[in-house]
Amino acid sequence: MNTPVVEIKGLKKTFRDFWLRPVAEAVRGIDLTVEKGDVFGLLGPNGSGKSTTIKLMLGLLAPSGGTVRLFGQPPRSRAARARLGYLPELSYLHPFLTARETLLYYAGLSGMGGTAAKRRTNALLEQVGLASVANRAVGGFSKGMARRVALAAALVAEPELLILDEPTSGLDPIGTRDVKELIRSLASKGVTVVMTSHLLGDTEDVCSRIAILSKGLVAACGRTEELLTRKQDARFTVAGLDEAEAKAFAADAAARLGKEVSFDHPRVPLEDFFAETVGEAR
Amino acid sequence: MRESFLLTLRALARGHVLTVLLAALALVHATFPALVRGDGTADGAREMFLRAVPGSVVALVLVSLLSCACGLFARERDLHRLAQTVIRPVSSFSLALGRWLALCTAALLLLAANAAVVAVRCKDAPDCRHHHSPALPPPAVVARQMMEEYLNDPNTPEAVKKAPRRAVLALLTNKESDRYDVVPPGGRISWPFNDIGLGADGAGTGVLVRVCFASAYSMRSPVRGTFILGEAAATVSNDTQSVVDIPLAGMASCTNGLVFANAGKDSVMLRPRRDLELLLPADGFMANLLRATLLSFSTAALLAAFGLFLSAALSRPVALFTAMVLVAVALMAPSAIEQFPDELNVSLANRIGLALSRGVAFLTSAFAEPSPVADLATSRCIEWPELARTLVMNVLVLPLLLLGMAARIVRSRPLSAK
Repeated sequence: MNTPVVEIKGLKKTFRDFWLRPVAEAVRGIDLTVEKGDVFGLLGPNGSGKSTTIKLMLGLLAPSGGTVRLFGQPPRSRAARARLGYLPELSYLHPFLTARETLLYYAGLSGMGGTAAKRRTNALLEQVGLASVANRAVGGFSKGMARRVALAAALVAEPELLILDEPTSGLDPIGTRDVKELIRSLASKGVTVVMTSHLLGDTEDVCSRIAILSKGLVAACGRTEELLTRKQDARFTVAGLDEAEAKAFAADAAARLGKEVSFDHPRVPLEDFFAETVGEAR
Repeated sequence: MRESFLLTLRALARGHVLTVLLAALALVHATFPALVRGDGTADGAREMFLRAVPGSVVALVLVSLLSCACGLFARERDLHRLAQTVIRPVSSFSLALGRWLALCTAALLLLAANAAVVAVRCKDAPDCRHHHSPALPPPAVVARQMMEEYLNDPNTPEAVKKAPRRAVLALLTNKESDRYDVVPPGGRISWPFNDIGLGADGAGTGVLVRVCFASAYSMRSPVRGTFILGEAAATVSNDTQSVVDIPLAGMASCTNGLVFANAGKDSVMLRPRRDLELLLPADGFMANLLRATLLSFSTAALLAAFGLFLSAALSRPVALFTAMVLVAVALMAPSAIEQFPDELNVSLANRIGLALSRGVAFLTSAFAEPSPVADLATSRCIEWPELARTLVMNVLVLPLLLLGMAARIVRSRPLSAK
């Protein structure tokens, strides 16, 4: 049996003040399992415990109860960290380093050697579209460019588990689309992705499984398709019907089935429309 | 470690810290010599220059380095950058070690630049000299013997016998350190010196006797007499100077120790442990400058490690405040201890203060004791064994200990991932 990439059992986190009095119970007993190749979305309103769960997964906080295992190892073990990549919600880069130096720095910390690190850095700079500004200090980058550098830094060690906190935050629609494509591409190569996002559309687009947290507990968890598909209803798309024909078709179907039938016209997602429009303008 | 080292070095260089410090160093060297005045002699002017200029630069480098060290971990943690570093498969110790090595490199660069300018300015400075004190048993040993005698003496008051042994011992040790030898008019006294290599042919020439005539109570009176060391002798006639260097004429040897024959009308009081030294020729000024630079570097290395330790444990302002307070207390503690030698007669509050001062002085002796600038200014030879001991402690043992503790804190302290 394969070891789950992320295994969380009975996870609890209570924040305490200086006198060790409990201040907030951020996570109140979470059980989650993420398998290899999953793109797992962690959703929830503000204060639901998403960020705390991510910190606990990264080993940046110690749990008050329960366990977190990454690849069967504690999250603070070097073995687990060698297979981990992390993109924080904000980019937090060293402003005096260039984009290339930033990636080489993180590659070095991840144990990559000189030539391999340089090759990987060049490839990632191409991949995130920053090759032309690779030797500029990141302190002068726009938020979107800094985000791309941070994403490349998370990917530099070719991680098997990628934890992304609001990965599309600060990106324009084209950048958002690129990141989503990248996530899908990584997942197809067997990389496991755990991500949080407030943009439910983005999550729906890329996540194969989601968990919704509320008040420190898992309110819902499962495959995205299963959770979102209403199997008791059916929707048809017929090409080339105008308004009058569609109304007639609906009335006919309602009479034939004896059930209420409604119709609408399909819409192009705004993201696709924007990308097409900007692409044409360029 | 390499990444951490390069990152810190780039931060120091691109954050203009090194540039500003080099500019400050140039400014001090350009302006201070015009501001400080000696006693009118070339030696006095050189001594004032050496005390004021390199001393200011070393102080500036140490304070700046400590300030930078206090921010390294704390600033990265406050800016949420540390979280991205520690989730990598890298040991916290190598992160701390890399940062410390970068700070040491910067300190070495600045101190070397300072030494280079001093070397050019003081190229005709006199050679340095070994300083030897009389070979007397340590004050604590003498104090212990005295205490045994007191306790066995039936005339000793009961109050003294019942007093805490540690306090009595501390009191007697202080008294022995400051003990005066009294030489009556027409009298002689001899102080032993260990074999200090005066026996070879031609050696023993160029020996000076340094005598400090200023007592703690400022009761100096005219001194007339002769110092004799083997076949060498020198007369002294002093009315005004508090410290006198007396060159011995003839072949000196230590067989009978240093003898003083009082030819004056009044008794002469000298503290052998504080007021008497034999000065022997050592090596050149440049060699001493190199040793002084290494000694300053050892202090910088220790302070950098200490700052990193505080930085790992505390936020930047708190770390910086704590570091500065501790440095100030470390520098003041020895004089606080000297001001209150009599532990039996002070109040409880003073005794607590004294105990704290002693504790701080003990813990910070590795930082506070070396005085390379003063040694350089007074042409006192910094001895290689003393330097080696200080380097081992300040550049190896204590930093590794502090960095180990810093790494443990970095590893175990919760970090925000926001």
